[in-house]
Amino acid sequence: MTAAIPSIALVGNPNAGKSSLFNALTGARQKIANYPGVTVERKAGHASFADGRPLSLIDLPGTYSLTPASLDEAVTRDVVLGRQEGEKRPDALIVVLDAANLDNHLCFALELLALGLPTVVALNMLDLAERDGLTLDPERLSRELGVPVIPTVAVRKRGLAELLEAIDGAIQSHQPREAVVAPQNDTALHQRARALAKAAIVTETPVRRWTQRLDRIVLHPVAGLLILLALMFVMFQAVYAWAGPPADALEAGVGVLQGWVVDTLPENFVRDLIVEGLLAGVGAVVVFLPQILILFLFILLLEASGYMTRAAFLMDGLMAKVGLSGRGFIPLLSSFACAVPGIMATRAIPDEKDRLTTILIAPLMTCSARLPVYALIIAAFIPDRGVGGTGIGLQGLVLFGLYLSGIVGALVVAFVLRRTIAKGNAAGFMMEMPRYQMPQWRDIALGLWQRAWIFLRRAGTIIAMTTVVLWLLLTFPQAPEGQSQVEYSAGGRIASALEVVVKPIGFNHDIALALIPAMAAREVAVSAMATANAIDADGDEDAMAQSLGQRLQGKWSLATALAFLAWFVFAPQCISTIAITRRETNGWKWPMFMVGYLFLLAYAAAGITYWTAVAFGLG
Amino acid sequence: MTALLDKATLGVAVRIARIDWTAMTDDEGRRLREFGLMEGCEVTPRHRGSIFSRDPLALTIGRMQVIIRAKQAAVIEVEDVVSEEGAA
Repeated sequence: MTAAIPSIALVGNPNAGKSSLFNALTGARQKIANYPGVTVERKAGHASFADGRPLSLIDLPGTYSLTPASLDEAVTRDVVLGRQEGEKRPDALIVVLDAANLDNHLCFALELLALGLPTVVALNMLDLAERDGLTLDPERLSRELGVPVIPTVAVRKRGLAELLEAIDGAIQSHQPREAVVAPQNDTALHQRARALAKAAIVTETPVRRWTQRLDRIVLHPVAGLLILLALMFVMFQAVYAWAGPPADALEAGVGVLQGWVVDTLPENFVRDLIVEGLLAGVGAVVVFLPQILILFLFILLLEASGYMTRAAFLMDGLMAKVGLSGRGFIPLLSSFACAVPGIMATRAIPDEKDRLTTILIAPLMTCSARLPVYALIIAAFIPDRGVGGTGIGLQGLVLFGLYLSGIVGALVVAFVLRRTIAKGNAAGFMMEMPRYQMPQWRDIALGLWQRAWIFLRRAGTIIAMTTVVLWLLLTFPQAPEGQSQVEYSAGGRIASALEVVVKPIGFNHDIALALIPAMAAREVAVSAMATANAIDADGDEDAMAQSLGQRLQGKWSLATALAFLAWFVFAPQCISTIAITRRETNGWKWPMFMVGYLFLLAYAAAGITYWTAVAFGLG
Repeated sequence: MTALLDKATLGVAVRIARIDWTAMTDDEGRRLREFGLMEGCEVTPRHRGSIFSRDPLALTIGRMQVIIRAKQAAVIEVEDVVSEEGAA
């Protein structure tokens, strides 16, 4: 036995239920990072054997064979072969099979068994296989493969103890395992897999699966698209309708905290920094946590239920018209939450030009960081009423329109890019369509927790820091009596210089001031305005009592507010996105191009919006 | 009698007679085989595109559903299944 903690890799086909098994084995004890040098997510976690000895688990990207078609599949190959830089070769493998899809999944299993590492097979999702009318014989499969085969139902934690016991036994036994020889060509491999599956299946009753029945509606050429559109519409309405009460509670909480600091600390520099800088700035952003979580909840549910691939299927025809594929729909939909995981998810797109184009348009999807900006401006300038007696809110409709502008913009840009700088063959689209599944609350809750944590950490680091720096820039030098502190300060003077450039598109000093720190992250625009307003209102009790939205209402015209919204549909103001694009495209060329074209579009869009609105008398 | 998979009737099982592997890249061909699409196997075309286009094509193969583009389906020759399964 090795003295070190044994490391065990979970490996298997896509849709084998690997991640659920990983979650069930590790619980919340997991760490998500990147493999060095590549942006493929490395999910690692800890668990312990029955007697308390620890083991470490890693969840490898799902793939069909050891010959990779994309970047994440290459990581799986390199890790199991011990060729991944900075990653120790695993001591043992848990090969995860979908019990209902043995003839396909056994092909990869045979390849993995041929590696000769200590291996245990998890016959996963056995309950769903039984629902589909399959009765399996795990012992028979175990005899045929020469390794333990453990039936598991990850979502009910069934078979986990047995799985760990078997993997312990496999590592402890010193004799090298007699490797099953994998047939060398695809046809022979498949024949062998099919024969094995046939041997393991005791009975098979053909049942009409409800996945197929549901697909007849969900994938219907017309009804399917209407369902997709309705789902997205409900998603964006829910972001508004459900987030109200918790957001109000958070806002009240920040207010209480500010009051407490004012009462507790003596009036000095530190107190102002905390109240006007840190709490006003970070608080203005944290308030949007409920909306971001609702958005992620929808995306996680769509993914876990198996619907996301259907959406990709429905969208492929449209995406093919602009030179992309349905594959790109999944990273683009993730980009609605955040472009960073979205751009990372493009690594599953095999075609290079297709992938590059998808990366370049990902920032046009309205990410959750824009929500604070949109929410603030919409709440302040768009009346809260229904549209023509329907139950649809005008505010939600404007938000929907902003999302739609981003999507249409992205399609147009993709169309142009695929015919110019990212010219290439028509991209392919091959994907497995998983069965529908009931999402497991544990997996969803874990996913939400991880997103919430990332958001709060960002609020606590990048956003807190830029806000404090901004507060310092706005506080010094001190303005003489009778002059506006914000305009007199160092920050205010920088903003005045920028104001010259953005004045033609209707932007005022407030906006110019917010745009600079918002380069770090879009939501900083909100915290920056909150900080500037807090400084401006210093001592003025009436002004302090007003919310940021009310203050802007008094200072901006509707045309300016609309132009500001249009700007944020396009502006590439996010350092993380630029950094991830540099890493994903191996250089500065593409991120520079992306930033350039997006700023141009933002300027044009804000300008056109402003001039149009002014022409209609809204200036 | 053979036909091409991209023109096959939805919901009717067919057997793959021949695939023109030279009409696609190595990667595409390998992924098709990884899905289990090879000569001799049975597939059932299920769904075809949306109002945007008749692409892509969703197929059932064994207990799996996969999506491919019509361009690939157009180089896959299929024939009728003559067993009792074809009637189902």
